Amino acid sequence: MITMQLNGLEVHAEEGSTLLEVAQFYGFPLPTLCHMEGLSSYGACRLCVVELGGGGSSELVSACTYPAVEGLVVRTASERVIRARRMVLELLLASCPQSKTIQDLAAAHDVRQQRFRQEHDSCILCGLCVRMCAEQMTGRAIGFRGRGEHRTIGTPYDQQAEECKLCGGCIYVCPACTLRCTYTDPDRVICGGCANLTPPCLGKPQFHDMMCFMDPCVACELG
Amino acid sequence: MNLERLGSPAEFRALQRQIISEHDRHIPRIVIPAGTCGQASGANDLIRVTKREMLARGLVGKVHLRVTGCHGYCELEPSVLVVPSGTFYPRVDMAGMARIVEAVARDEVLEELLYVDEETGRRIRRQADIPFFRYQTRNLLGHNERADPIRVLHYIREGGYAALTTVLERGDPERVIDSMKASRLRGRGGAGFPTGLKWEFLTRQAGARRFLVCNADEGDPGAYMDRSLLEGNPHSILEGMAIGAFATGADEGVIYVRAEYPLAIKHLLIAMRQARALGLLGEDILGTGFSFQVDLVKGAGAFVCGEETALVRSIESKVGEPRQRPPYPVERGIDGMPTVINNVETWANVPLVIERGSAAFAALGTPASAGTKIFSLVGQVLNTGLVEVPMGVSIARIVNDIGGGPVGKAPIKAVQTGGPSGGCIPARLFDLAVDYDTLKSAGSIMGSGGMIVMDADTCMVDVARYFMAFLKDESCGKCFTCRKGTQRMFELLDDIVSGRGTPGHLDLLEELAEVVRDTSMCGLGRSAPNPVLSTLRYFADEYRRHIKDHRCDAFVCHELVGAPCATACPVGTEAWRYVAHIQRGELAEAYTAIREANPFPSVCARVCHHPCEARCRAGQAGGTPVAIRALKRFITDRSDPASYVPHRAPRNDQPPVAVVGSGPAGLTAAHFLSLRGYGVTIIEKEAEPGGMLYSAIPPYRLPREVIRSEVQALLDDNITVRCGTELGQDVTIDSLLEEGFGAVFVAIGAHESLRLGLEGEDATGVIPSIEFLKAFNVEGRSMAKGRVGVIGGGNSAVDAARVALRQPDVDSVTILYRRTRDEMPAFADEVEAALEEGIRLEALVTPRTIRVERGQLVGLRCVRNRLGERDASGRRRPIPIEDAVLDLGLDTLIVAISEGSDTDCLAVVGANRLEVDERARTVRVDRETLRTNRPQVFAGGDVTTGPSTVIAAIAAGKRAAAMMDRYLRGEALAMPDLPPIPKDYVEPATWTGSLPVSRVSPRRVAASDRREGFHEVELSFSGEEAREEAARCLRCDLEFTASGSGAGALKDRAEAGVST
Repeated sequence: MITMQLNGLEVHAEEGSTLLEVAQFYGFPLPTLCHMEGLSSYGACRLCVVELGGGGSSELVSACTYPAVEGLVVRTASERVIRARRMVLELLLASCPQSKTIQDLAAAHDVRQQRFRQEHDSCILCGLCVRMCAEQMTGRAIGFRGRGEHRTIGTPYDQQAEECKLCGGCIYVCPACTLRCTYTDPDRVICGGCANLTPPCLGKPQFHDMMCFMDPCVACELG
Repeated sequence: MNLERLGSPAEFRALQRQIISEHDRHIPRIVIPAGTCGQASGANDLIRVTKREMLARGLVGKVHLRVTGCHGYCELEPSVLVVPSGTFYPRVDMAGMARIVEAVARDEVLEELLYVDEETGRRIRRQADIPFFRYQTRNLLGHNERADPIRVLHYIREGGYAALTTVLERGDPERVIDSMKASRLRGRGGAGFPTGLKWEFLTRQAGARRFLVCNADEGDPGAYMDRSLLEGNPHSILEGMAIGAFATGADEGVIYVRAEYPLAIKHLLIAMRQARALGLLGEDILGTGFSFQVDLVKGAGAFVCGEETALVRSIESKVGEPRQRPPYPVERGIDGMPTVINNVETWANVPLVIERGSAAFAALGTPASAGTKIFSLVGQVLNTGLVEVPMGVSIARIVNDIGGGPVGKAPIKAVQTGGPSGGCIPARLFDLAVDYDTLKSAGSIMGSGGMIVMDADTCMVDVARYFMAFLKDESCGKCFTCRKGTQRMFELLDDIVSGRGTPGHLDLLEELAEVVRDTSMCGLGRSAPNPVLSTLRYFADEYRRHIKDHRCDAFVCHELVGAPCATACPVGTEAWRYVAHIQRGELAEAYTAIREANPFPSVCARVCHHPCEARCRAGQAGGTPVAIRALKRFITDRSDPASYVPHRAPRNDQPPVAVVGSGPAGLTAAHFLSLRGYGVTIIEKEAEPGGMLYSAIPPYRLPREVIRSEVQALLDDNITVRCGTELGQDVTIDSLLEEGFGAVFVAIGAHESLRLGLEGEDATGVIPSIEFLKAFNVEGRSMAKGRVGVIGGGNSAVDAARVALRQPDVDSVTILYRRTRDEMPAFADEVEAALEEGIRLEALVTPRTIRVERGQLVGLRCVRNRLGERDASGRRRPIPIEDAVLDLGLDTLIVAISEGSDTDCLAVVGANRLEVDERARTVRVDRETLRTNRPQVFAGGDVTTGPSTVIAAIAAGKRAAAMMDRYLRGEALAMPDLPPIPKDYVEPATWTGSLPVSRVSPRRVAASDRREGFHEVELSFSGEEAREEAARCLRCDLEFTASGSGAGALKDRAEAGVST
């Protein structure tokens, strides 16, 4: 058993647990985008940052990847944490404004506008889909490629991977909610899901053998 | 070479003794550094020539050749070192090499090929005496010249592998760790973690295997110290790792080196093979039972793989992405096993610690950072190369003494340390000691040791943008803040450099930078904002100038420079435009282009210091700038000032404006106010308007009729001139305001020479320069006689000297200046013309005593100066040598050190006083609005700046007119500066025939004829010359204006998808 300080409380944690688990166990909310129970911790979205230590030597670390260690002093909502979290949300909003998840998180943190050049990305590269595919579906059909601003998620050589079971798990976990619906190019399709109000795939025979995994599936409801 | 396996430490010692005894140190050796840098500059040719010459001359056995790694002085490669004499030959060519071989054989020195000291001009023979080497402590780099990196026996001869043998003989790993800790060696990769401590952590870890890693993924732009060690001394790294393995119980080592270092990889592989063959690496080292395997892994070039957790993943053949620490690699590294990762330079230091003892090692450097550090010194510095100094020396020592100061005329502005994620340190902080903690507190990092020197022609915003462009591509992209943060910071910086910046940009940039630093996962992300934060901290003014004024003073940012000639001009004259019209033979249009911006074109065509030419792109990169001023002269000589009639607004109902002083500032203000419809009254003390143009500038530079006709053309119905009226005597500022003037513009110039402050300054024969020039220019009185001395280095000093030379009773003229000729503020061509005419220049002297007999000047005693330390401007400060006295017999001494204004006339007392800078004798104004502390009173020109240029005064007059107009209309006093982008398109003329390559200079009257009188010295271009010179213009404007035809149109059409 590890003893540490969390927001001024003395708390106990299991050996091997992360700060995120400890905070959630004790009821302190921490926003996350790239974390999901059942998948390995990744530390990509930087939303769950917490402040370690105090005074001049404190630092921010991501709670989902940092192990609980004896004697740690952790604050989950210090001024520095909130400032950082709001900036992260502002950056997210600037890139992916259409995501409901991001909109809700931003609203909850009182981030109402963003000051950067507006982009309309469909992906925040949180990697949930990649981990979902590899760790839960033993698929490894999708992965990261490129680095820096050229980093993207895709299938090998942009072809539908043999490993893809068309399970739709990748779409199910996606927080950006813009689905990689590639109905116009069935060879590249990862899944047939689609969130458009008038799904363009309706009535097109080549998509009949595909499943749609939206919950609820817009197309199915209409059909 | 047949290497036999050594079975015990004793066998190693025997081998070492044998090699040393067989080596004859007295045989002359030619050492050629042939690292990657040396080979690129031609070292391989030198090696070939040397071998051929040695064979041809039968010198084999009498002279030896040694090919080594880089010695560090990359600027002067390919270089040759001759040992044991230590003679150094820089930049040797193949012919020179052949002669050197011959000279070495005869034990001679080729004087003419030796290094020349920049400062003294003397030749220096020995490498150790050259300033670049003199201030270094070359513990690591010094080894490179002593051994051929592909010969292990060289390494052993120079003491190599002795430290490993000692450690194995002692057989006490703890003792090794203790001495590493005592040595206080800190990681040279940048973070500075104590090496001994890291090793100790490893010994405490449980694990089936333990790894040591040498991090040779050197990726910082402009940094290559690791490469030179890998290439020049690979065995030292292997030995260091073997010692580390013995101390920590590690059994496997990995050298992670980037694939872009083929020579380093080759040398490492050779070294590993030789060390294994000798039994110094691999199984059962030296028969002691200790085994250590080393492998080499090539990195594919991702910058982030230098980060240790990413490096570990890369070695594991996974994507090189960092992960959160803890656990640190020392707990869970390669394949989850404990791993120690150290930088190349750290490993290379390990044998030194053992060999010299930890106390001796710790004695170098500072208490917190021991030993030496190699820096790669690059950028705008005279001597670029690798520099090894003890920790804790000042930046100034590295940049100025070893680096030799700035490479060009522009002073050094900052130094960027620590690679892309380091920071910029401004020149005023160059006294800072270079060690881990000091650099960090200054907002930079030590990093791996890159040091990029930047001069005043470097734009710091652009520098930050460059590094951010690098980082946004090289961020691994895993964590959101680093990937998106660097991209967004780049966008914001890109907006600023292209003129789209707003004050909000700065706040957002700083806010974002701090969050990226706080929240990113690995070291790359956490240090990525450093270039932004450090430039924001030290160069905030440059950012503001980009955002608010839309100007880049370094002339780097493309969209804020436009056509550099027009942007450099204080009044914004579009030089490209009239040059283009000259080319087309359209003289009237050319005159209009000049006159629109500048009401004194003929004056400026003669006396302007042409900042446009200094920035002309034709003059960059070794070319000569277009002779813009001479072309302007060509136009104005053929145009009547009265021919240009500007548009004048009808007389408005605003109160009139009084302008005090009718120099260029006053007349310009009056002219532009008149064009706006104001009534203007000019108050002038002298009998004729013209101000400093008349009184200070001699007629051989600016003929009187030129001033007269230009001034007359400016005076119109709205302008009244009251000559012979003196401020303070006949009128005061208050009386003018009472008279009904709505605003007063004070432009009385700087007519008072400042005093030397020496005894005897009031003696007969000592004359303030302005009094001297005025007496001659206005009254035609010659005051100089006999032997004349002029103190000062500015334009008024040179003018006074040249006027004196032309006066009848003068025998000789000498200018006395305290710095060197290059540093004289006077225009270079004026100085040259003065010297041509026979004026002597005594540079580097300080006047000490004025010798006076019976109230009459008889002479001046000066002392000579030497150049001392560089000051903040990068210029070397003159320091008097008290016993080096220079006595001059003089009959006239003209004091021209600087000028101030007669501020007594401005009602400096009482409630209505104008604020005055007493020391400089200038009126204080807001630099932007030119308003004084009294709301109705504006001031501009020399009275606010001290002695300056004509064009600066005209610019002040223009600005004052605009501001007073705004003031009288009740508008806010602000002038938005738009990006200076050319707008008018002038079709380029077609040019048949060959283009002149270099500048056509206007002819001058021969120096021998000039002394006779005051005729104008410089002559005008002929039509042919003018068109040829104009054709040299690169037309920087076309890039912005050509949309109707030519390249711009093609581009537009291509973008619009129209096929042609």
